[in-house]
Amino acid sequence: MELRIEHLSKTYANGTQALRDVTLTIPTGMFGLLGPNGAGKSSLMRTIATLQEADSGSIQLGDLDVLQNKDAVRRVLGYLPQEFGVYPKISAEELLDHFAVLKGISDSKQRRDIVSGLLHRTNLYEVRKKNLGGYSGGMKQRFGIAQALLGNPRLIIVDEPTAGLDPAERNRFHNLLAEIGENIIVILSTHIVGDVSDLCRNMAIINKGQVLLTGDPLVVMQELRGQVWRREIDKEQLPALQQEQQVISTRLFAGRTIVHVVAGSQPGPEYDGVEPTLEDVYFARIKQAEMVNAVAVES
Amino acid sequence: MFLQIFKFELWYRLRRPATYIYFGILLVLSLLMALVTGGFFESLTAVVGSGKVHLNSPFTINGLTSALTLVPGILLVSAMFGPAVLRDFDSQMHPLLFTTPISKWGYLGGRFFGTLVITVLMMGGIGLGLLIGALFPGIPADRLGEFHLSYYLVPYLTFVLPNVLLTGAIFFALATLTRQALSTYVGSIVFLVLYFVAQAQLSDLDNQTVASLLDPMGSGAMALLTKYWTPVEKNARLILPTGLLGLNRLLWLLVGLLLFAFCYLRFRFEQGATGSAKRSRPQTAPGVVVAPTAPVLLPPVEQHFGFAQYFRQYLRLTWLGLRDVLRSPYFIAIVAAGLAFLLAAALQIGKIFDTTTYPVTAQVIEILSGSFSLFVLAIVTFYAGELVWKERDARLNQMHDALPIPNWVPFASKLTALLLVPVVLLLIVMVFGIGTQLVSGYTHLEIGLYLRWLFGLKLVDYWLVVVLAVVVHVVVNNKYLGHFVMVLYYVFTIFAGQMGLEHNLLLFGADSGIRYSDMNGFGHFVGPYLWFKLYWGLLAVALAIVANLLWVRGSETDWDTRRELAARRFTGPARAALALALLGFVAVGSWIFYNTNVLNTYRGSKARQQLTVKYEQQYGRYRRTPQPRIVAVDVQVDLFPERQEARVQGQYWLRNKTAAALDTVILNLPEDVRIRKMQLGAGGATAVVADSVLGFYVQRLPRPLAPGDSLALTFDLYYDSPGFEQQTQRTGIVANGTFVNNGTLPHIGYNADAEIGEESARKKFGLKPKLRMARLEDTAARANTYIASDADWVRFAATVSTVPDQLALAPGYLQKEWTANGRRYFRYTMDAPILDFYSFQSARYAERHAKWRDVDITIYYQPGHEYNLDRMVRGVQDALAYYTKNFGPYQHRQVRIVEFPGYSAFAQSFPNTIPFSENIGFIAKVDTANPKDVDYPYYVTAHEVAHQWWAHQVIGAAAQGGTLLSETLSQYSALMVMKQKYGPERMRKFLKYELDTYLRGRSTERVAEQPLYRVENQQYIHYRKGSVVMYALADYLGEDKVNQRFRLT
Repeated sequence: MELRIEHLSKTYANGTQALRDVTLTIPTGMFGLLGPNGAGKSSLMRTIATLQEADSGSIQLGDLDVLQNKDAVRRVLGYLPQEFGVYPKISAEELLDHFAVLKGISDSKQRRDIVSGLLHRTNLYEVRKKNLGGYSGGMKQRFGIAQALLGNPRLIIVDEPTAGLDPAERNRFHNLLAEIGENIIVILSTHIVGDVSDLCRNMAIINKGQVLLTGDPLVVMQELRGQVWRREIDKEQLPALQQEQQVISTRLFAGRTIVHVVAGSQPGPEYDGVEPTLEDVYFARIKQAEMVNAVAVES
Repeated sequence: MFLQIFKFELWYRLRRPATYIYFGILLVLSLLMALVTGGFFESLTAVVGSGKVHLNSPFTINGLTSALTLVPGILLVSAMFGPAVLRDFDSQMHPLLFTTPISKWGYLGGRFFGTLVITVLMMGGIGLGLLIGALFPGIPADRLGEFHLSYYLVPYLTFVLPNVLLTGAIFFALATLTRQALSTYVGSIVFLVLYFVAQAQLSDLDNQTVASLLDPMGSGAMALLTKYWTPVEKNARLILPTGLLGLNRLLWLLVGLLLFAFCYLRFRFEQGATGSAKRSRPQTAPGVVVAPTAPVLLPPVEQHFGFAQYFRQYLRLTWLGLRDVLRSPYFIAIVAAGLAFLLAAALQIGKIFDTTTYPVTAQVIEILSGSFSLFVLAIVTFYAGELVWKERDARLNQMHDALPIPNWVPFASKLTALLLVPVVLLLIVMVFGIGTQLVSGYTHLEIGLYLRWLFGLKLVDYWLVVVLAVVVHVVVNNKYLGHFVMVLYYVFTIFAGQMGLEHNLLLFGADSGIRYSDMNGFGHFVGPYLWFKLYWGLLAVALAIVANLLWVRGSETDWDTRRELAARRFTGPARAALALALLGFVAVGSWIFYNTNVLNTYRGSKARQQLTVKYEQQYGRYRRTPQPRIVAVDVQVDLFPERQEARVQGQYWLRNKTAAALDTVILNLPEDVRIRKMQLGAGGATAVVADSVLGFYVQRLPRPLAPGDSLALTFDLYYDSPGFEQQTQRTGIVANGTFVNNGTLPHIGYNADAEIGEESARKKFGLKPKLRMARLEDTAARANTYIASDADWVRFAATVSTVPDQLALAPGYLQKEWTANGRRYFRYTMDAPILDFYSFQSARYAERHAKWRDVDITIYYQPGHEYNLDRMVRGVQDALAYYTKNFGPYQHRQVRIVEFPGYSAFAQSFPNTIPFSENIGFIAKVDTANPKDVDYPYYVTAHEVAHQWWAHQVIGAAAQGGTLLSETLSQYSALMVMKQKYGPERMRKFLKYELDTYLRGRSTERVAEQPLYRVENQQYIHYRKGSVVMYALADYLGEDKVNQRFRLT
């Protein structure tokens, strides 16, 4: 089964164009959706999660029309929104049980088992009786994950799931996702490149509502091999450099500024070639798209 | 520091739209109030209060200002002061703010006083609204006096400023210390409730001074200060904060400042809420160091979808929703406040002269459910918002919306949960009611009545409001706007009638009214009531379906998307259900309309008034047409209690008592009568006018009636009871407890009493000014008694028939009783002429017999109402003894007291027959050990028996002073009987009451207060002032001396 998104566009009432002709094919397994804040990731995910309408285009899950047949989609859906709250006065166990009922798990024994299983898996079992109001951000996030895994989801959408998790929690979460993501579709949106490179066999980079790139992270990194160059500069040099070269990223290291540039050949002796990371791909693509847009505006 | 924060607060508030919205709300509401008070709305010529008190008088401005400061003022004050500090917590600004070097005084003081200044300015909307109202074109000139700015400013300083400071301090402290927005909402409701409870306690005469000091808003003190003011004083005197009022204002101003000081002392610049012992800190998970646990395999689960599963989910969500409400501390707080209110109400059950009644179930239900209904509405409205917004408030909505459940499951479950809330609340009322009864040792518990009343009738009302509130919240999709719309709806229901929307088919939830009587149960009120409720219920169903279609699911909430989604959801079943509901709504509506407007004549109050005007304009020329007078009456009244119908046939003898021959006879009849026969003499009279709408008939006799000659009027009338009315009013002939008087029979001559009396209305319709009553010196007016203008003394005989299990009564002595055609007949005749004033009653009575010398005393009563029969009998006996000894012999051989349903609350004296409402006296609980209790069953009985002398032996003319002869003297007579039994000390309480009622009564006089001897049927004069004056007279001159003057023989 695969999820096929074709020519999906959406403009909000306030004029924001959230999705522009998005076409994606998402096979089973983990799929990373990478993009800066405000790129349209959440809009796309909400649309797949039946929470939002599209102006045009279609989404097919197997032979299900997602936009028309929301109920059927919801039956196989697990969704973790980017931002969510909980009822503060009830415990994780109760709320999870509540969700289990609403997911159609009517057998109470099965419900008990799945709830306790998920609480174990998300490492919340010890605190299952505690009111959710007392949970830390990470615990709440884990609860959200547990909730998304209830039932037999065949499509899981997790929007920025690792935000607020400490490194160890994030690790656990990745393991969990990787495990369940073997046979079903898991769409993971993030702006943390590492999440995608660690987990996903497929990915898309999206910015300003447009898909900039799709593919296997390894392959896309491969494609950029030999084009990424690194240089240490002083902060003052940066504006001038940005005029000369296609700077894709800058970061500070030990008080010096390190820039990555993309170029077909070594731009100069002070540049060292580096093995491209997914981050380089990501920044390169976004820069590229911005330049195209800028040119389009100028002309 | 203080100044900066203070200035920032002003600046910030002046830029908030809310400030101006609240100002606007106050302005519009006070404008409306002013217009209503000023008699602006056409359909409402009856003005609020006294027509003599000007709209721009200090009294009116004061009253309206202080009322509006209370509601909605308090709610707005809480909306202003709550966020003064809370907004920092809501916006999570507080950690940033609290780490800056601001001083506590600067922060709290600046915020508080800044808000205070803005709120006081905002309250200016009230004064401005009232001023605009007074200047509005269309306010009659006689409703206005001179304009003085001080009239508007003084109440501002005496009421608005201290009250805003006090209530502001309360809400500010609540919000600051609990850091919960809800606490201020609930605080404002609880405050209002406690306030009204305190007000209810003020009604007892003895603790008024204390109560008026304790009234935090000062209106009690104001009421005490002004309660005896005459209209002239009200128009001219400023209500200055002196005396008790001044003390009260000072006291509460101080309390306000102290509250602020308390808040200041308790406040800490901390993250968590101050004051609450338990602080919830985010706990860290025990497994921070993540030990690699072996992955637990998730067990397989089966998911079920389909109606059965959805229904289970619906039940579960309903239960959770209900539990949420019931467990919420605010629910518990409001209910607790409501219970306090109930307790206060329970203590007041049926108070007359500060004497309570037995807690009979009907009274208990009426009072408790009445005083609790405000709470039910508040709870229902509030939690409609909470439940509809539950997921979104918890920010769980996105997860929830993506769950595989159909839209109707969350919607219907929330609706159902909220429908169950009033069930719980009514259960509380019921338990409380039964508790009240048991505590006072009353064990005749009518559980069935509780169930029928609360859950059969009352609940439907609340359910309609629940559906409306949920629908509004879903459709409006903004919690605060939703609440605002609901408040608008409540305001609208109050003003709808005045804006001309009177028909119950037009006002959501309205019905034809329901009244209970121990004698007649819910009687004929139930059917029409249920039809109206069915009508609105069907609309509610339709609205609920629409709301379900518009239910917000997903992240897009703009109107276009919602409409589009709704259109997509509007499929087969929804269409069918909506069509069915609307069809039913229209069908039931048509059926109601057929009943109220086709079978019955419907007239709004404006149309009714115009009809009265028409009567005078068209037939006023007959005012002085000489008429023969009724000298003998022989009627047969066949009552059909179950059908509420009656046939009235019989004969009048009319005699020409004038000096000239008469050729015209004018007959007046009610509009709804069916005339089968109405014949003068042997017939042959020509109809000059036959106006069935105005009930006016003029007939020209074939031969003039010579002076001294008599003529028979034979009539056969039928009173139908077709369908039901818009407002159930036919309470005369009922299944058990019929009570009609001779208004159902023809009257002779133009009826001047039917004309409009209200001065301003007469002016509006271009009618000539009319005296309220003929002057005392007007000798022509003495031609008529004030009882009847078409008869003097009449010979009277009547046959009354009814169903076999009822007893029918009319004045006179029972001559014969027989059964025919399955009906029971009674023949009564009077052995001497009586006033043309008689009644017919029929019910399933029990009887209590007694004697005073050779006079038979009988009380016909509803079984179960035995409580005060002995007192009544004693009352009759003592009264007969006293009156016979002091005034002269009793003209009849019998006294009958006949109970009738509490659709009216009075007792009335007909010749040898005294109809007595079940609501006064029969269920009074007189504690003779308590010197403060007034034995009013005894007293009312004595008063009515006195009328056998004062009215039925001596009757006043239809002129000034007429009612002195009957009412004042009866009052005096009863007082003497009471004094004899209870001693002069016990009379104090009673006389104090009478004086108080008199003084308050005259302060609402609309025309002119007359001296007692010129009383113009003014109750506060002929009863209340009369009592005090006559008692004093007996005190000064001696009882015997006074009585000698009243001796009739």
